[in-house]
Amino acid sequence: MSHPPSSREGALSRAPDAGRIKVGVSELAVATGGETLTTSGLGSCVAVALVDRSTGVRGLLHAMLPNGTETDTGMERPGKYVDTGIETLIAELEAAGAAPDRLEARVAGGAEMLDLTDAVGPRNVARAEQRLDAAGVPVIERAVGDGVGRTVRFRADGRLVVRAADGFERTL
Amino acid sequence: MRVDVRALGACNRLAERGAGQAAGALTDLTGTDLSVEVTGASVASGEDLAEAFAGRESIGVSVGLRGGLEGEAVLAFDAANVDALLSLLPGGASMGRSAVSEVGNIALGGFLDGWANYLGTAIDMTPPRYFEADGAAVLPDGALAGDGVFLFESRLDATTTDLDFSIYMLPDSGQFRDLVVGKTAPAAAPGAEGGAGNDGAGSTAVPYESLSTFASLAKRGSANAADNIAMMTGLETSVDVSRLRFVPLADVPAEVGVEPHAGTVFELQGEPSGYLAILFEEESAAKIAASMLPSEPDEPLGGMAENALCELGNVMTSGFIDGWANVLGTSISHSPPEYVHDIGSAAISPLIAKLSRRQDYGFVIDAAIRTEGVQARCDVYALPDERELTRALDRLSES
Repeated sequence: MSHPPSSREGALSRAPDAGRIKVGVSELAVATGGETLTTSGLGSCVAVALVDRSTGVRGLLHAMLPNGTETDTGMERPGKYVDTGIETLIAELEAAGAAPDRLEARVAGGAEMLDLTDAVGPRNVARAEQRLDAAGVPVIERAVGDGVGRTVRFRADGRLVVRAADGFERTL
Repeated sequence: MRVDVRALGACNRLAERGAGQAAGALTDLTGTDLSVEVTGASVASGEDLAEAFAGRESIGVSVGLRGGLEGEAVLAFDAANVDALLSLLPGGASMGRSAVSEVGNIALGGFLDGWANYLGTAIDMTPPRYFEADGAAVLPDGALAGDGVFLFESRLDATTTDLDFSIYMLPDSGQFRDLVVGKTAPAAAPGAEGGAGNDGAGSTAVPYESLSTFASLAKRGSANAADNIAMMTGLETSVDVSRLRFVPLADVPAEVGVEPHAGTVFELQGEPSGYLAILFEEESAAKIAASMLPSEPDEPLGGMAENALCELGNVMTSGFIDGWANVLGTSISHSPPEYVHDIGSAAISPLIAKLSRRQDYGFVIDAAIRTEGVQARCDVYALPDERELTRALDRLSES
């Protein structure tokens, strides 16, 4: 409900050029076919890409903050927080046919863009590492930190292409 | 009449969901993937809207609304995109206006379904009326009259083709205000604010007139900022667009876009606190910086340009917030500028993240300021803390 890309995924996979699923800020989405999951303009936000290689089921999260507060636990928009986002993404991947113990993770973003905002980027990354570790999901590779914005594409082959604002591109 | 900003948030979410349904209907019809980029509720005067839409040419359809919601809804394509749209449709260009009418009808039907479900009553649509319009004539009837209207606006974006379009819905003001106010009670009742027992729900209701006043204030702030650029650079400046909108904060980065931007961000302290970002696309940033420097800099966006942009940001920000502080009767100060040069959405995302700890929706004042002679343009995003702004607006109505 609060993360439209995953709910629209059925329609997308029927479309002839089922190419791309855009994941917005505070959203998450799951792909079971050949679609590329993309998210752009990651600054302090963190992207967590999970894949089960044996089924090809993949998911991408674009989380804004490490964890919920007393007044907002992330129930309504789970993708907003790293905590609830990872938990929900793993559950959705499992529902789509992935085995949680076969998942592997790639992490990007979490830049320290501004001094004004007390290192929310690095805290997002630390939280993601912690939650993935607790869920038993190994982090294969990461492109995190520094002061640079990034855009990512999560390809059907399970690789994560990370393009930095300066044009530098890496495939994780 | 008081407007509950939380209820406005709920309505906004509804508009967002309706826009999602419209996108889905069009995806099925054309086989082209469409997604909702931005949904926002504007509180704007007719004059502001006329200015914001000046120079645009649109083609689309409008329908009248009867039943659970009265008013008018309009779906508009930028005239330049109509050929692209027609080429996607069965029958192609030969279908012309009937194809546009059909698309509009389907998309608007999807949009209104969401509202009807929420209200629990049927909303009837009159048959679609095709139009070609210049400027603000695209807006629903009545949008330009009066001193303040609610306008819901969603922008949909086709990921593979250039096919952006907007849906505007202008609910009949009286009825819609009742609806927004009516939703206050259930939203406020079972401890919507976690039952903290403080001013919780009460503090989110503001007088409609104050919102409207603040919208025009925001415009004055933008004009002050533009004047300050003019004084500093000697260039003639004008404010293209200045609007107060209530939007889901998570949509703001997408709105700034993925083009590289350079500029400055500030933290605001006082009532309200918040953030202000002044972002130029790279080319504009380089031009405006060069116009302030005594000689051509070695690098277009190197250290000298950075200093110039910081200085400019300082004077613009003071211009911006002075206007607010005067009218709200509060004092607002700002931090020193912090320079940013990155993907636009990445640069603004930490500010959105910070504000999002306390709120999912926010008032955004966006202004586009243009300079003549040296062609440059910047966007100003003011992001006040919702609760503090609401408190200040409330006091404004009492005085």
